Amino acid sequence: MNIRIKDSAPKRIMIVNRGEIASRVAKACRELGHTAIGLWTDNEPNAAHLEFCDEWVHLEGASNAETYLNIEKILEIAKEFKVDGVHPGYGFLSENGSFAKRLTDEGITFIGPHPEAIRVMGDKATSKALARDAGVPVVPGTAEAVPTVEEALKVANEIGYPILLKAVAGGGGRGMRACLNDQDVKNNFDAVVRESSAAFGNGDLLVEKLIVNPHHIEVQIMADKNGNVFHFFERECSIQRRHQKIVEEAPSPFIGDDEELRKNICETAVKLAKAVDYDSAGTVEFIMGEDKNFYFLEMNTRIQVEHPITEEITGVDLIICMIQSAFGEDLQIPSQEWIRKTGHAIECRICAEDPITMLPAPGSVTGFETNFPQGVRFDHCLYRGLNVTPDFDPMVGKLVSKGLVRDVAVRKMRAALDGVYIEGLKNNIPLHKVIMDDPVFKEGQYTTNFIKEVAPQDKISTDMDLDSIYLKLAAAEARNMGM
Amino acid sequence: MRSYLIDSENNEFIIDLTKTIKHSSELVEFEFSSIQESQNIDSKRVFIRKLAGNYYCSFDNVAWRKLARQHVPSKVLNVDKVYNLYRGFKPSGLSSGASGDLLTQMPGKVVKLNIKVGDEVAAGDVVLILEAMKMENEIKTSVSGTVKAIHVEEGQALDSGVLMIEIE
Repeated sequence: MNIRIKDSAPKRIMIVNRGEIASRVAKACRELGHTAIGLWTDNEPNAAHLEFCDEWVHLEGASNAETYLNIEKILEIAKEFKVDGVHPGYGFLSENGSFAKRLTDEGITFIGPHPEAIRVMGDKATSKALARDAGVPVVPGTAEAVPTVEEALKVANEIGYPILLKAVAGGGGRGMRACLNDQDVKNNFDAVVRESSAAFGNGDLLVEKLIVNPHHIEVQIMADKNGNVFHFFERECSIQRRHQKIVEEAPSPFIGDDEELRKNICETAVKLAKAVDYDSAGTVEFIMGEDKNFYFLEMNTRIQVEHPITEEITGVDLIICMIQSAFGEDLQIPSQEWIRKTGHAIECRICAEDPITMLPAPGSVTGFETNFPQGVRFDHCLYRGLNVTPDFDPMVGKLVSKGLVRDVAVRKMRAALDGVYIEGLKNNIPLHKVIMDDPVFKEGQYTTNFIKEVAPQDKISTDMDLDSIYLKLAAAEARNMGM
Repeated sequence: MRSYLIDSENNEFIIDLTKTIKHSSELVEFEFSSIQESQNIDSKRVFIRKLAGNYYCSFDNVAWRKLARQHVPSKVLNVDKVYNLYRGFKPSGLSSGASGDLLTQMPGKVVKLNIKVGDEVAAGDVVLILEAMKMENEIKTSVSGTVKAIHVEEGQALDSGVLMIEIE
């Protein structure tokens, strides 16, 4: 079948984000013939993402509240610059339903799902209720907040230990605590209420079953405004620190060649997306136990950090699909059968953090260079002189490798990590190298407890590498000599 | 030239550049030594070659790898530690120990003396300014006390390791 595609009318698209995702979206805008409008703030005048933006607008202010989270000011700029659409990237306002609604009310397209989908999926309780109604399995537990410790104990004994006390409004691993028995629940209940009240302004707690040796597996969804919902297979994101992903791969090595399970989890995700009339890029996250039963966790109603690995195995540009979908255009995907996966892709998140403690380490990049094996993708915002401030997330890049089989992707990633030279800024590349060399990782049978149990961070050698110091000094001397 | 690598916990590494040979406009050879307690603990030859605008480095002039281009590095990273790099001098105020003797860490010229014998000084006070590498370096005392003796005068050129001031 020879399918011809239609070009869309040029639009003006403002990117309300920074860092590598802003670059990524700007590139997609360029490819489609749209004008990419980038923003820069007072604390980041050298914003590297502007490189791919056609127009640069100063978003005054330094704090995130004054800038990338400032709905009023962003609306003002959008109107002033006659913007047709706004892409929110991830983080910041990407999952803010009222921002999407305000834009829509002004006749500006929000490049993301409709506000109602954001609202429903943004709340753990309502999203679970919807999943239950749609026949999507959810982790056994309470649908409503448990008001008292007595109530929590009752539920815990009904569903059986171990259980998890979890903030209704929580996220990113904060506001949750595992309990193995009644005593744990009694000890932790008040603490989690306090923690979540302080962090999220909402102290309501849920009780749910704790899945043992879990795998974090998620399905990429893309939908248009005509009710077509496609899945792009799954990703496994079980390697996490502080409940935040650091290594992701597609497809999941745990699902492996169990095609029936793969089909089942992907179709379940499609079913859920259809239940909210989903109309953009989204990710349905599941937790899968060692028995391969899976349960719905949450749906992220935005593009995700780890989308490149899905793009690598399917060959589809998800950001472009997202833009086309938002303007009511055809996704240029004739049917689900056209979406096929080949090979295996791995992503390592390169973060400005201590490789051993994994705590953020802001600082300046004094030198940056890459020297990659063939076929490596690096979405990043690094440059010599970059100052990583404590204001933003410590992630500075995403290194992506691909191979026809998993072992090749791992080998390529290991070589790629050797080819990233970041000077002056602490980063987690030494950790990624140890993970790629780890036998448990190589087997592909790791769980979300990998960082805790296998503890690759403990295997990082911190001995002074005099040889590399000599090389750096030599380069400085050579430069001084005018070479 | 001597380089000092000092991290936030005052861990210190000293590396001397002991030899420089310019083979051609594209190839230079250096010899570095690592110093610990005045002892040479490690020596290595390094070759630097410029190729297509990038620096490549080698220990044997046979096997080469790329180097990240950077200006004279002010910081050096080693896995989980960032070291401040001081080329040619060790900054004042970082010397460990509580000895009141101030020695020059590098050859230089006394630009200004802020104290005279008998003055009371507090730890962290700038007692003298030493010019070296075309830079003025503030020399601070790490102890509080009375200035017992001054062995230098303004304008005097000093070698490395010279006793300048004694504080009691």
